[in-house]
Formats: sequence, C-alpha cells, structure tokens
Amino acid sequence: MTFRQFVFNNVLRNKRLYVAYFLSSLFTVMVFFTFAMFAFHPALSGADIHFSALYGMSVAGGIIYVFSFFFVLYSMSSFLQSRKREFGLLMTLGASSRQIRRMVFLENMIIGFFATVGGILLGLIFAKLILLIAENVLIISETLYFYVPVLAIIITFVSFIVLFLCISFFVSVVLRTKKLTDLIKGNKKWKGEPKASFALGIIAALLLLAGYGVALYVKGMEVLFAMVPVIIVVVIGTYLLFTQLSVYVIRRLKGNRHLFFRKTNMLLFSDLAFRMKDNARTFFLVTIISTVAFSAIGTLYGFHSYLTRGIKDLNPFSYTYFSFIDDSDERIEKDVQRINAILQEENIKADMERIEMTYYHMEASDTPVLIVKASDYNRFARLNDEKEVSPDKNEAVVVNVSARMMGSSSGNSSLIDQPILLQNGVEIKPSETIESELLPEIKGYYIVHDDAFAELGDPLNSSSFFAFKVVEGEKESVMDAGRKMMEQTEYRAQAIDYMVYEIDKAYGPVLFIGLFIGIVFFVSAGSFLYFRLYSDLDDDKYKFQSITKIGLTVGELKKVVNRQTAILFFAPIIVALIHGAVALTALSRFFDYNITEEALFVLGGFAVIQIVYFFIAKLFYVKQIKETVYR
Amino acid sequence: MLQLKNVSKIYEGKVAYRALTDINLEIETGEFVAIMGPSGSGKTTLLNIISTIDEPTTGEVYIDGKNPHTLSKNKLAKFRRQELGFVFQDFNLLHTLTVEENIVLPLTLDGEKVKEMERKVKQIAEKLGISAILNKRTYEISGGQAQRTAIARAMIHDPKLLLADEPTGNLDSKASKDVMNMLAAINEREKTSLLMVTHDPQAASYADRVVFIRDGKLHSEIYRGESRQTFFQKIIDMLSLMGGDGNDLSSIRV
Ligand SMILES: Nc1ncnc2c1ncn2[C@@H]1O[C@H](COP(=O)(O)OP(=O)(O)O)[C@@H](O)[C@H]1O
Ligand SMILES: [Mg+2]
Repeated sequence: MTFRQFVFNNVLRNKRLYVAYFLSSLFTVMVFFTFAMFAFHPALSGADIHFSALYGMSVAGGIIYVFSFFFVLYSMSSFLQSRKREFGLLMTLGASSRQIRRMVFLENMIIGFFATVGGILLGLIFAKLILLIAENVLIISETLYFYVPVLAIIITFVSFIVLFLCISFFVSVVLRTKKLTDLIKGNKKWKGEPKASFALGIIAALLLLAGYGVALYVKGMEVLFAMVPVIIVVVIGTYLLFTQLSVYVIRRLKGNRHLFFRKTNMLLFSDLAFRMKDNARTFFLVTIISTVAFSAIGTLYGFHSYLTRGIKDLNPFSYTYFSFIDDSDERIEKDVQRINAILQEENIKADMERIEMTYYHMEASDTPVLIVKASDYNRFARLNDEKEVSPDKNEAVVVNVSARMMGSSSGNSSLIDQPILLQNGVEIKPSETIESELLPEIKGYYIVHDDAFAELGDPLNSSSFFAFKVVEGEKESVMDAGRKMMEQTEYRAQAIDYMVYEIDKAYGPVLFIGLFIGIVFFVSAGSFLYFRLYSDLDDDKYKFQSITKIGLTVGELKKVVNRQTAILFFAPIIVALIHGAVALTALSRFFDYNITEEALFVLGGFAVIQIVYFFIAKLFYVKQIKETVYR
Repeated sequence: MLQLKNVSKIYEGKVAYRALTDINLEIETGEFVAIMGPSGSGKTTLLNIISTIDEPTTGEVYIDGKNPHTLSKNKLAKFRRQELGFVFQDFNLLHTLTVEENIVLPLTLDGEKVKEMERKVKQIAEKLGISAILNKRTYEISGGQAQRTAIARAMIHDPKLLLADEPTGNLDSKASKDVMNMLAAINEREKTSLLMVTHDPQAASYADRVVFIRDGKLHSEIYRGESRQTFFQKIIDMLSLMGGDGNDLSSIRV
C-alpha cells in the first residue's frame, strides 16, 4: 500500500469525521457559485444595470470569498483539532512529521476538489430553485432566466482550488511548528479560559453605547458621515463584548457559589467558560455576518416600500387625473373622455369625482395655499370610504399628509396658526388638524364651510383633479388601462397599480440579488453555529456519559443541552438584531421615512427562522447525545 | 445489603453473547468484597448490572431489599446518585471542573445548600489528603490524586454501597497502595459496603473476601484470614489455579 493509497483509504474509513468538514466546504462553494452565477448573469451585464449595483456586487463577491476562506480555514482547524490524537498516534508509530503533513495536504486537496465540484453542481440546482421562487415573488421572470454559467463555473473552480491549495499549505506549515507531545495530548488539553479585563469590558459597553447613541442621534445627511466611524466603533465594541465582557460576566457568575452550585448551573457555566475562546470567535463572526444580512435586507425592503408604498399611500385612488396649471378646459375634457373610453374598452367600472382645486394668497405663505369647500372634500371622502368633515361657518380644518410620509418634518405646521380673512371681513380660525391623502397637495391645505368658501373671492390659480375608484374589473385590464391612460394623457393621469408594477420591474433584479446576498450571509452564520455546536459533540458525549454513570436524569441532561445550545444560537443573534434595529433606525432617519413596520417584519422574520433553526438543531443534538449516553 | 439472584446477561447483537450465567451473590452491610477474574470474564458487566448502568437479562438485584431495576429511568438516576458511590478506572472526572467542583457535583444536582456542601467537601478532602489541591484543574493533578478526588466524589453523599471498577488500574504501585488504604479506611470507619472489581492481587488483598469469576460464572471465593500477606499469597495461588491466561496482570483492558 503506497502512502497515497493509505491517505485515500483513511478518508474513506473515517467518513463520519470528514463529513462535517466536507459538507461545510461544499456549502461554501455552493454559496459562492450561486452568487457568481447571478453576478455574471447576462441580464445584469447589460448597460441598463447601474454602475453602483455592479460595484456593490463585486464588493459582496469579495466579502463572500474572504468569508469563505475564513470559514473553510476555521472548519479545517476544528477538524484537525479533533484528529490531533490520531496524528500523535501515527507519529509514535513512526510516521515522520513530513509524512503527516503530506497526508493532511493530500486529504485536504481531495476533500477540496470534491467539495468544489459538488458545490458547483449543487449550486446549479440551488440557483434553479431560487429562480423558481423569485419568479413567483418578484417580477423578474423575463430578465433573470436560467443559463449555463461557463464563466461562473470557471471562476468558482479556479478560486476554490486556489483557496484549498492555500489552506492546505497553511495548515501543513502550522503543523510543522506543533510539538509531538502537543499532538499526543490532543484535545484533552485545557485550552484555558481567555483572560478578561474589567476595564476592557467597560470599554466594550461604552463603545457600543457610544455607537448606538450617535447612530440614533444623527439625521439626514449626517447619517452618511457618521456611518463608517459608527460601524468601526460598533464592530470593535462587539468584539470586546464577546471576548471580554461576556468572559467577565461568566467569571462573576462562576464566582457566585449560590448561583454556580445550584443544580445543573455548574455544568452549564463551567462549559461556557471552557468554550468561551471558541465561542467568542464564533459569536463575533456570526453577529457581524447576521447584522450585515439584517441591515442589507432591511434596507432593500425599506427602500422598496419607500418607493412603492409611498406612492400607494399618496394615491388612495386607482386612477387620478391632475391637470397642469395652464391646461385649457377643452384639453381637460378631451383627456377625461379618453380615460372613460379606455375604461369602457377594458371593461372596467369605476366611480369618479372631480374637483376644481383653488389656490389663494395667504399672508404668511410665499406660495399659494389650497382651500377647498367641505362639500367637495366630502365627496372625495365618500368615494374612498373615509371620514367626512363638517367645519362650522367660522372654522377651518387643516389637512396634512400623514406623518409617516413626511417623517419628522411633517407638513406645513404653520397653517393651524393662520386665520383666513374673508371678503366680508370675517376671520376664520383653523380649529383642528387632520391627516389625509385624498387630494394631491403635500404642503397641506384648508377645508372651510361652503358658505365661507363663497366669500373667498377669486383664486390665484386653479387646476382640475379627477379621481377614479375601480369597483369592478380584471387585475390585468386595470393595469393595462393604467398604462394606456398615462401614455395618452402625457402623464397627467396616474395609475397607481401600473406605477408600482413599473417600480417593481425596475428594482426586481437588484432587490433579488440583495435579498439573495442577505440570505446567503444569514445561512452562512447559521452554518457557523452548526459547526461550532457539532465540534463540541464528542466532548459533550463524554461529559454526559460521565455524569450519567453517577446519575443524571434525562430531564437534567435536556436542560443543560437546551440552555447551552440556546446561548450559542441566541446570544449572537440577539446582539445582531439590536445592531440591525439601530442600523435600520438610522436608515429611516436618513430617508426621513418611517420603516418601523418593515424593520420589525424583517428582524422578526429572521428571529423566527433562528428559533426554528434552534429547535431543529437542538432536537438532533439531544438525540445524538442520548443515543450515546442511554444505550 | 446486596443480593444477586440468578443474574444472567446476554448481549444481543449480530451474534448473541452470554456474558454472565446464573450469578448468585450476597454482600453484607459493611463488607468489602473484591471480584477477580480474567479479562473478558464479565467483571465489568456484573458491576454495571449492580450499579444499574446496565440491566440483567434475567434474574434480580436487590439493594437493601429493593430492586432498583424496577424504577423508572429518572428515579433510577436519582437512586444512583443518592444511594450509590462510583469509582472508575479512568477516574471519570470532568476536566472543565476543578477538583472541588467535581466532588460536589452529585450534591449540586440534588440541590444541597452551599454551606452544607462546603462543609462536606472540607471534611472529606481532609480525610483523603486532597485539601491542598481543591482549586486545581483535573489535568494539573496526578493519577493518585485524581482517583482520590473520584473517591471523595463517590463518598460525599454517604452512599450505602460503594462500587469500584479497577480503581487502581491506571495507577503506579505507590498510588495504588494509597488509594487502597483509603478505601479500606473508609470501609472500616464509615461501615460502607464496598464492591470492587480488580486485576490486581495486591489491591484485592485489602478486601474481606475475594470472589473469582470465569467465563461469566462464579468460580470460587476465598475469605481473608488475619494476615494480609497470606491472603495475598492465597489469591495468587487461586489465580494460577484458574490457569491459562488467568493472571492477566499485563493484559490490556479494553
Ligand atoms: N456492550 C457489549 N456488547 C456486546 N458484548 C459485550 C459488551 N460489553 C461486553 N461485552 C462482552 O462481554 C464479555 C465480558 O465483558 P466485560 O464484562 O467487560 O469483561 P471484564 O470486565 O471481565 O474484562 C466480553 O467478552 C465482552 O466482549
Ligand atoms: Mg472490565
């Protein structure tokens, strides 16, 4: 048997040990390949994709590659960790250190090669699957079709063969510097609790508080300037949080005997402390990756909603027609006739209201202010099933668009302080403010009693506004009618459904890629956790086997495993969720648009996924341990 | 104290293997019994059945008149850590815990008061001469100290029955002697019943009685007279009488 045959057989025989390492490598390749496949998609390489989107994608690709490197390296080192004793044994049996290094190198290349090829194949299937889902969710079916990505295959293959070569070299160099005795002692050796300083713990807390404080304080353009320093401060703070503060807290918990010596706490905390070095590293990586995922998806989703829901909120009606100031009456009549003709053509039944929007000069305002009479407003309110208003003869109601649309700088707040002077000398006092988007005036306006309206005199200017509410009609034809009337009235008419459709179509691919990257990052974080969990499996099996011999109930075992897994799964995610919430709040301050709902949806969604993931992982983990312990 | 009635054990597998056949054994309260036999004769199997880690295929085990094998899994776990004490060849200590923490582990699981635990640890550590190493990690102490730690853990809740599987198997002769002296002293002072499986005739000579098993069957037993030296000689004689690989002092235990 040649040495090479020995290596090959070794891999085949120690399957279980290699499977975890192989799978995580395979997964990494798959993620990278799927990404490359979309990044090099013909539809995206055209001229119509934004330069910034391309730039963003290359950055994301680079980040994925760097993370792949660290992930594979990390998997590799845990894998070697669990095999140190095997190496030690081989060496005492006379294998030279050079032979072992050669064995590790060859093994790693075998695994790397199959992981690369397998990852590409799996990636092709995965991409097809994603596209199937995407087609049903986003409007990109025509643009992002499935293709055979020769370029992506070549790039992935070369990148990862190089990556595995580097790691193989790196590992064999590292192995050279390790002493034989270290290898023989293997994993029994106490890794040592990481040192924690109280001062650094405090600094961690201060950095995080400062970062959050600034992120929550800045507004508008300041957000852009504050972003990079805040990110740096928070990343350092997070690192210290896990390597210092958490270690310090666990120390203190262990120091408190009334807590530490209580039931299963001793098992839980001593293990936490023991694994803190590995955990801290994983927690930090997972937190950062998850934060990136949450923020990226939250941003895209928030931005999408800013674009579409903003329009929807401002346009409660299916179709509107808003004349330009100097349009002639004939033109308006003709346009409206055309709209009605289109509606008839498409078999759409719609209710219509019209209003002459009249603008008046006001003392305190440099632009003319819209004043409408109550009966006009109420007709529109009835059309959209909204509350009617009935101001008294000498009262006015101020209307602003809802605060959500305007963020903090809501409407024209000064209107409420301005009395309206009628021609007959009567002063009308604004009495209340309401929010409404019925009329297309975002600067705010007054509603007055019909009698008062008659005394206003001549307006400075006016335009006609028509609103149509569809009562009956097919979704398709409503959209088609919208497109036609927008074109034929030279965009005086607006069709909300068609406009949203156009936005979705334009942003679909970018949104999709962004979503995909976010999900990839999140899934990678999950696999980091999975890997961390399973690299402790043998230790845990030994531990629980030991205690069970002395007497440990199934309930106690489950309790310890549940808690230690819960800490592993939720500590980094909770920190990431807080980071993400702060980042999205800062984002909404930047756009001056409230995305609380979207942020809650995204963060909540991830939290739910994580909880499900936790339960599945825990179930299998407990099962594995129970199988060993209670044979 | 301990009663085995017609205990047999068959390991089911591709090929069923009969590890124990009709074992009848009785141990008095306060008695110190050693079990000897060639490797693979079923000593560990027997001890595991007594310690409820494993179940007999047929036959009954009574500890203080109760059959623990009829208990539910959870009650069994509690029974084990409250009524029995264990000492293993590989010490079975947790390396994430200090010596003191290892010792109090059974008590913490039962929710004992901290003050009480501290008092008990102090007391037992003094008896076993490990007071100075209480705050050390298990990898910082010698094999003899590790086994004394394990004995302390086994004794901290005053078990009715102490079970030891090759307690000196991993120790050098000096450490073995120390550990055996401690076990004998505990048996003497606390009147704890003690059942020990061993390869080592030297260790076995500390017992009141040695039971020999072979091929899963009771072979014979001898009682200790006045002198330990003559008892040791009798044990050696019996082992060579059992013949063949009877004396497997040098064999590797699997
Ligand atoms: N879990 C098991 N499954 C099958 N056979 C076993 C098992 N445990 C022990 N045996 C077999 O039972 C016999 C007795 O084993 P054991 O009690 O460990 O012997 P001893 O401790 O005296 O060396 C051996 O032949 C061994 O191979
Ligand atoms: Mg044995």
